[in-house]
Amino acid sequence: MPFPQKSHPRWLRLDNAAKIYPAARNEKWSNVFRMSATLRDEIDTAVLRRAWEVTIKRVPFLAARLRKGVFWYYLEPVTEVPIISEERSCPLAPMSKKETRRCAFRVIAYRRRIAIELFHSLTDGSGATIFLKTLTAEYLEQRYGVSIPAEAGVLDRRQSPVPVEWEDSFLKHAGTLAATRKDRTAYRLHGTPERSSFLRLTCFQLPASAVVEKAHQYGVSVTAFLCAAIMQAAARIQQDDTPELHRRKPIKVLLPVNLRPLFGSTTLRNFALYCKPEILPALGDYTFEEICAVVKAKLDSEVTAKQMSMQIAVNVRDERPLAIRVMPLFIKNMVMKAVYHSVGEKKACLCLSNLGAVTLPASMTPYVERMDFVLGVQATTPYNCGVLSFGDTLYLNMIRNIREPILEQQFHCVLQELGLTPTVESNEKE
Amino acid sequence: MYCAHCGVRLADSERHCPLCGTKAYHPDLPSPTGERLYPPHRDPAPPSHSLGFAIVATAVFVLALVTVLACDLRFYGSVTWSGYTAGAILLAYVVFILPTWFRAPHPSIFVPCSFGAAACYLLYIDLATHGHWFLSFAFPVVGGLGLLTTAFATLLRYLKKGKLYVFGGTVAALGAFMPLVEWLQHLTFAGSVAMGWSFYPLTALLLGGGALLFLAICRPAREYMARKFFI
Repeated sequence: MPFPQKSHPRWLRLDNAAKIYPAARNEKWSNVFRMSATLRDEIDTAVLRRAWEVTIKRVPFLAARLRKGVFWYYLEPVTEVPIISEERSCPLAPMSKKETRRCAFRVIAYRRRIAIELFHSLTDGSGATIFLKTLTAEYLEQRYGVSIPAEAGVLDRRQSPVPVEWEDSFLKHAGTLAATRKDRTAYRLHGTPERSSFLRLTCFQLPASAVVEKAHQYGVSVTAFLCAAIMQAAARIQQDDTPELHRRKPIKVLLPVNLRPLFGSTTLRNFALYCKPEILPALGDYTFEEICAVVKAKLDSEVTAKQMSMQIAVNVRDERPLAIRVMPLFIKNMVMKAVYHSVGEKKACLCLSNLGAVTLPASMTPYVERMDFVLGVQATTPYNCGVLSFGDTLYLNMIRNIREPILEQQFHCVLQELGLTPTVESNEKE
Repeated sequence: MYCAHCGVRLADSERHCPLCGTKAYHPDLPSPTGERLYPPHRDPAPPSHSLGFAIVATAVFVLALVTVLACDLRFYGSVTWSGYTAGAILLAYVVFILPTWFRAPHPSIFVPCSFGAAACYLLYIDLATHGHWFLSFAFPVVGGLGLLTTAFATLLRYLKKGKLYVFGGTVAALGAFMPLVEWLQHLTFAGSVAMGWSFYPLTALLLGGGALLFLAICRPAREYMARKFFI
């Protein structure tokens, strides 16, 4: 049987992390992120559409639409494959409620690039990577007749969906002890808002081996290294902004942590939490080594199964009481939106999400030139940062919705001081 | 290629440095012609105008109008108090709800419409009460205020600079209008033409308008005020 039978539920609850996204979205923050793969030849959209039709049968709950119940949102597989979208001048066009009701993801073809943009309620970066790899593998098989094995994150499209791929791993791995939510407000980067929802993307390309070597020189991982560089850059911006020490606010960066390796989960849905390293510029100027030490200590102490289970317990605890469950959805939405916009975004300067080294089956590698990961900006936080490595190149995509490239300039200076010279490209208007 | 200003290494696709905006140029190297990351920017189509609010609001106003008239006719057999209430409802509709039917309502159309509606309402009250004050008082006052407000709103909308001049001039003109209002009031109601109360708003508004015009003309004063009163 070439295609899998219908062997998955007809609908699915949102996982624990996904519940905030439909409630908190507005015209400035539609909670969409992008992954893309640039191939060596121009994309054949007819073949891509056929590949897409096959892939969505394999991952029906990544290729889904968002529906509204009386008490909660839920997911349904799409009934028909939407058209392939055209690329715009900037990524991550807002996804309206009407669009997510029809299909909560997009496939975009532009020259040699296949991009997918997903509403965050479907999955996180790791799940999206698997989706994109599987789609690209199916496309290459159909276009060139190559046989690509189901390895290195590529799923077997002829196999039925597996139940562990759609489990809510948060509920499964919630601990018994809940952590506290207390947190200080972070420094907010700011600038002149960009009109007409245009997002400015700057891509820093670095030799991955050079970054790894540099990170090891400081005794930290690549994620910690990049996080420290961004924190250094943000601290310098605040130094110019706020000369008085005592008025400076903490610099914090949200680092999503993939929980799958910690708990042995193979779910394709959201299963990530955040670690938030923090420096306190009010105590004085930090050296780069000091920031690396702070980030490393935070990651080492928090990224363990026990600590993460406490974080999961906090989130899961909030959705379990009967009073919450029977509250009508529109009241839940209002409360979650109000709480998130008054508290949520103030707790970090930006998010830095590193998907690490993306590998492909050997038979796919000759056809794929590069991959990119782009996060969307949030409502009041103007910056976000998506990172991955492919081959020997690290692609750091910094996106913003303000005109001035304040963070990019400082970040570039920090990298140069560390002996790294990135190549920079962007989608700046001509 | 490297940016001549900040030294950033630019990809082949970059015509300008994304970090400082400097044009990517080197006399010995060809101009950058690499493949851009994204297509050129095109301004998006203006969003379609949602009429949901206008429809609901109109329905509410129509309901209020019908209820008021029905109650009056039911209890008194003719239009008595409901005429005034209905007139007020219609006036409120023209001022607040009618512009919402249009995507970009022009002030030079809707401000005169609003004042016209106010004049019609006052005419109705005058006729209903047999007051005989519409032509000698209400019409010139409403007309004068309407002209002033229309000029103010239109200038604010279409002038890019000189908004302080517009504010100052409008405030001063309003002050100058006060003696005319008092004269019309005395002519219509009191019979004599002794000027009294209009002196106070005239002085206050002329001083306020004059201060705004002074700030518009004098840049150091403007900067001083901005330093003292910024939010």
